[in-house]
Amino acid sequence: MENEQTLTGEQSLELITSMISRAKNDYYDTGISALLWGSIIIFCSLATYANQWLKWVALDYVWFLTVVAVVPQVIISMREGKLRGFKSHESHLIGGVWLSYVIAIFLFSYVDYVLNISRDAPVYLTLFGIPTFATGYGRRFIPMIIGGLACWVFAIVALYIPYPNALFLMAGGALLAWFIPGLLLRRCYLKAKRQHV
Amino acid sequence: MFKDLNPILHSQLRLAIVSLLITVKEAEFTYLREKTNSTAGNLSVQINKLKEAGYIDVTKSFKDNYPQTICKITPQGVLAFEEYVKDLQAYLNIKK
Repeated sequence: MENEQTLTGEQSLELITSMISRAKNDYYDTGISALLWGSIIIFCSLATYANQWLKWVALDYVWFLTVVAVVPQVIISMREGKLRGFKSHESHLIGGVWLSYVIAIFLFSYVDYVLNISRDAPVYLTLFGIPTFATGYGRRFIPMIIGGLACWVFAIVALYIPYPNALFLMAGGALLAWFIPGLLLRRCYLKAKRQHV
Repeated sequence: MFKDLNPILHSQLRLAIVSLLITVKEAEFTYLREKTNSTAGNLSVQINKLKEAGYIDVTKSFKDNYPQTICKITPQGVLAFEEYVKDLQAYLNIKK
């Protein structure tokens, strides 16, 4: 696009459409964040379930992995921001939704610890669903909409399931809300990257 | 009678820049260069023309010791783009 050639009306319209479509198709998420959190929640839920029988002291602290994972998450977010080269209109808003979720989940974890709530899975699953559904809805990404809805359905089911078994619902929620959408995002990202090479 | 199309926007590269910026909140110079397949020199000249017209805001800073130029469309730029599209639709006789 070097020459200042005169544009016809049709060429102008074609150019506008092509640029808008390029920018829209350029939205990408590497999928790593979703895979990271999906894997961690699945692992922590299943490890806690297994620990009902294993009784390993170390596994009592497995959920601290979610605190440790905040560090790679910050690094991933910074790297993705650098790679992208632009900020979309909704990225700030969706960032705010996830930040609210992180604050709410840590706050509830503390409340859970202080009050020793025995059946906490429905609350966690309800919280998991909020940012997942909001992101899927905002970005028109159906797997995350389904994941968010699945978390809410699991939250209701968890009300009628005794504690250790409800951990399977937590793992299932993380699988549908983050791990599977993360895999799909990763596949799209790698495909787009190959096309650019 | 057809209205004349806005001469600031009726140029290939400037129209491409504004079309990209209308879809994002802000974009780096390198991103615009990559998407428009233009040279740094030409892009820089056209960005300056858009800036002088008040259609975009340009912020220059340093990131990791490298100069970074961030472009953002202004409300005036959005209005001009909308007006340009309307005129274009009238010119091409496209009904909404």
